[in-house]
Amino acid sequence: MILYEFDYERPASLEQASAHLRRLGDSARLAAGGTDLFPAMRVANERPATVVSLGALSPAPPTRQPDGAIRIDALARLAAVANSELIREAVPMLALAASVVASCPIRHMATLGGNLCQDTRCLQLNQKHDYQFKPDCYKRGGAVCYPFPNNPPGTCWSVHLSDTAPALIALDARVEIIGGAGSRWASVESLFSGSGMKPLRLAGDEIVRAIVVPAPAARFGWGFRKSARRGGLEYGASVMSVALTAAEATQTCRSARIVIGAIRERPVRALQAEQMLAGAALDAETIAQAAAAVAKEISPLPHHGFTRSYIRDDIRVKIARVLREAADRALGADGQKGEADRG
Amino acid sequence: MDNALRIKGTRSQVVEICVNDEWHEVSVRPRHMLVEVLREMIGLTGTKDGCEQGACGACTVLIEGAPALSCMTLAVDCEGKHVRTVEGLAPDGRVSPIQQAFLDQGAVQCGFCTPGMLMSITSLLERNPRPTVPEIKKALDGNLCRCTGYNAIVDAVLQASGQGVEPLMK
Repeated sequence: MILYEFDYERPASLEQASAHLRRLGDSARLAAGGTDLFPAMRVANERPATVVSLGALSPAPPTRQPDGAIRIDALARLAAVANSELIREAVPMLALAASVVASCPIRHMATLGGNLCQDTRCLQLNQKHDYQFKPDCYKRGGAVCYPFPNNPPGTCWSVHLSDTAPALIALDARVEIIGGAGSRWASVESLFSGSGMKPLRLAGDEIVRAIVVPAPAARFGWGFRKSARRGGLEYGASVMSVALTAAEATQTCRSARIVIGAIRERPVRALQAEQMLAGAALDAETIAQAAAAVAKEISPLPHHGFTRSYIRDDIRVKIARVLREAADRALGADGQKGEADRG
Repeated sequence: MDNALRIKGTRSQVVEICVNDEWHEVSVRPRHMLVEVLREMIGLTGTKDGCEQGACGACTVLIEGAPALSCMTLAVDCEGKHVRTVEGLAPDGRVSPIQQAFLDQGAVQCGFCTPGMLMSITSLLERNPRPTVPEIKKALDGNLCRCTGYNAIVDAVLQASGQGVEPLMK
């Protein structure tokens, strides 16, 4: 039950929705699936004067473009992404990432675009009942940060907990964004600002229309893992996603993208580990070194009861398995899987 | 079709929602969630209002056949849509096979989660008539039950889908 009255706009197209957002400015919020916005409104974390609902718009089915890329409507429900034959065959990492988000009813409501554009969370922001008689924090316009009291004003260490964003960044996906000036393209990676105060690099009237995942190169391999306590209906302690390609007819890695989500204000790439892997043999030793490098270079924020050192150790162990999976897939065609370090 | 709509927060709008194959005209404000309309305006109190933040699944209904959390769905967004609630499983007062399986397996204790469980399972069995145990658990990952420990519920789904689990209670 939302305890205040707000206005409602139901546009008949995304262009109309963008025009509403432009006219209403910061007092309006966009609702696609509503699974992020409405709980936040219920606890008064968000108090938009107007909700612009995309409830009247239905997503186009995912399509394969002439260049082999897969185009997915941003309004595609996560369950539809996870169950789509085309996506399961062409982008299995995204199908897996979509299938581990939240719970079954939420996956049927929430959209892929909304999963990318969700707000960041922290225990204070999202446990309003414990803090309801206390002044607002920086993110809500106040002058205090409860979990990190030494943070200077304007620094919010809330965490972006999307499960699909790391997978899409590893796959080097791009998004089509519509706004007042027509449409523009951006990489999913550049969508995130890295600021907990305003996690997205989107203007007030901009809306993500579609996500395009490029066709994989030859000898491509992927690995994905959401590290979580129960395995259902929860946020990840971290979300690990790896996409790599093996060099032709060898056991070496040509290039790798390692993305860790749910540890910072944005999904982060482990650039040093990526460089370490490029050109190196995909054997147990390299993978152990790369995993240690990932754990060393990331700087996780404690969140949802996970401490900084727990998250770091957890990632060091599990990213090695994810890298092994990706390497096996990339080398798989040769039938020379490295099983040595499986334990 | 231009189905754009604008409502002021302090005004009501009459919307038509088809609940269990019966069309209802309800006068709602933008802030009204579907669960409030079902329970307080239409009078179908089978759907439960639990956590209101998507954690418990007690309010699960089927909107156009897909499970949805009615506490996080605006009622105005449901205009012209078909909603099924737990009452729709037993239209003539006779329990459906999945409800009978819940009774047979003792899968109901306090009963607060049961309507949401039944709707999630109904949706699962419509998509997948013979689900495996992992598939059942995946489909029920959004429905919390604090009494039964879930095993009886999984057994009830196996019984209802004819997969070799005999009724525990006859």
